[in-house]
Amino acid sequence: MTFHVQGFLLGLSSGGACLSMCAPVLFPYLLGEGNGVGRNAAIAGQFLFGRLAGYLCFAVIAWAINATLAGLSAYRDLIMGCTYLPLAVLMILYGLGRIKTQCAAERTASRFAGLKRDRRLLFVVVLGLLTGLNFCPPFLMAIAGAADTGSLAGSLLFFAAFFAGTSIYFIPAPFIGLLRGGAVMSTVGKMAAGVTGLYYAYAGIIHLVEGVYFQ
Amino acid sequence: MSTDANPAAPAAAPSSPLRTVLLALPMLLLTFFFLSGGKVLHEPKVLAAFIITYAFVNVLFILMIHTGKTDRYRAIFFITYAVMFSVSFISHMIEARGAMTVSDDEALAGRVPFCHIVTTMVLIPAALSKTIIFWGSMTKTYASIASMLIIWIGASLALGRGWCSWACFFGGWDDGFSRLRRKAVIRNIPVKWSYLSFAVLIAVALISAAVMEPVYCSWVCPFKAVSEYSPVTDVKTAVQAGIFITLFGGLAIILPVLTRRRMQCSLLCPFGAMQSFTNYISPYEVRIDPAQCRKCKLCIRDCPTFSLDEKSLEGGGARFTCVKCGKCVDSCPRGAAYFHIKGTPLHRNAKIYRMLFLYSAVLFMAVFGGGTVQNAVLRLINLATTGRI
Repeated sequence: MTFHVQGFLLGLSSGGACLSMCAPVLFPYLLGEGNGVGRNAAIAGQFLFGRLAGYLCFAVIAWAINATLAGLSAYRDLIMGCTYLPLAVLMILYGLGRIKTQCAAERTASRFAGLKRDRRLLFVVVLGLLTGLNFCPPFLMAIAGAADTGSLAGSLLFFAAFFAGTSIYFIPAPFIGLLRGGAVMSTVGKMAAGVTGLYYAYAGIIHLVEGVYFQ
Repeated sequence: MSTDANPAAPAAAPSSPLRTVLLALPMLLLTFFFLSGGKVLHEPKVLAAFIITYAFVNVLFILMIHTGKTDRYRAIFFITYAVMFSVSFISHMIEARGAMTVSDDEALAGRVPFCHIVTTMVLIPAALSKTIIFWGSMTKTYASIASMLIIWIGASLALGRGWCSWACFFGGWDDGFSRLRRKAVIRNIPVKWSYLSFAVLIAVALISAAVMEPVYCSWVCPFKAVSEYSPVTDVKTAVQAGIFITLFGGLAIILPVLTRRRMQCSLLCPFGAMQSFTNYISPYEVRIDPAQCRKCKLCIRDCPTFSLDEKSLEGGGARFTCVKCGKCVDSCPRGAAYFHIKGTPLHRNAKIYRMLFLYSAVLFMAVFGGGTVQNAVLRLINLATTGRI
């Protein structure tokens, strides 16, 4: 079986787990934006593009460090800490972004809202990239599979095929736009992004501390 | 369209003693059967615990009928139930494990009692991977997963989010503290804050499915402080214990006292948020008769869960987050707020609707919570007579 078929089948068999890893980031964002199905599909596409970039980064790293799973796993906590913390910051900023409540944080929040409006596309891509750089179980299997290819091109092809297989599970995501609720759903989505951000902040700190001190 | 001059008001009006006894009779018989377990109780302490619990439940029910007030007497049981649950649960855990803490060995053996709040986190992983992400047993232990899920489904069908005012063994804590002050110190809280519990629901449900662990139980639940928690052995468990205690202190004690609202239930509890959706399938609801309503906003001020606002008053009913506690029904001076059964005519027969709701709610509360109260009373009698709980 060729590498890309292997990668695709691996992605197909473990895509549910990939979706569950990405859902806490993608779904609150889609809810928070409050768009219809079409616009959500575009956002999901941007998110997936970022995720693909993350996968390809790993493909290069896997090849560059001599393609050993153990070699990458040694840095697992550090890498996860370094990806979770910026992800947490982005999610929290997004959560604060445009909440229209009378609260002490409003002035600060409106400052970040301007920042987000200007860089919305980049924001989603970065969210995808940071969730793509993740040591979830399917991803570890993909690293092992990519390592078997033995070449940079093979590694890239394997991860691209793996990405294609997992992406099928994201097809229902844009349909979150069918939920009715307008501004209320949008506020709930933003708050959920903030709560998720707090979790990633905690997880990032724990991973970083363990990566630095307990390696 | 209103059809009577003041149709809902009689629901809150006192009943005559004879009528009260007749209306209470079926409840007296049903609770006798359920609380005794259909057995003849010979042991004096067990008998005493039964009599105290039986009398407690039924006196409150009779007062509900006789005075026409719902929340006033519901709250007495609900708050007592929460305290008694902690007494019963903690002493049961100490008896079974020797400590209030749950060790890794206990968790690995699947001997952690299942609580209804976990339902919010187990459904997605169960649907996707046929895995229950909880350290409990399906059928074999105290508060097993299957038994709690069945009770939850039954309660949801019957009461909807009424669970949160009539059955939840934690809700009584912030309900109790929210009643300590006569006037709120913090008022005019934007209703948008009540969306936070839905955000917490989305976040914990998705994160739990991602990490295959009930993260709310591990990291957030304030009621760990009055039930069970991991022993503090390292930095991680110390942080967890700190979070539980801080959230319990903040959301179940301080904020309820300052706001006179159930802040934990309104702002944080993911189960409450999920349970709101079951209000769509429950037959009971709280309605407002626009013809009787004089927009005094007493109900909005008194609602403990932000379930009433001006918009919902105009719409003629409480929001879907209503916990059916009856506080608005009690506080409305014109009887404009009333319990209603979906599919029946509006603004009439309020007394019958209320009685049917009370029978469902009080009976569920007595059957589900009565056993716990009875057990706690027995333990307290043991403590008083033998010095051992």
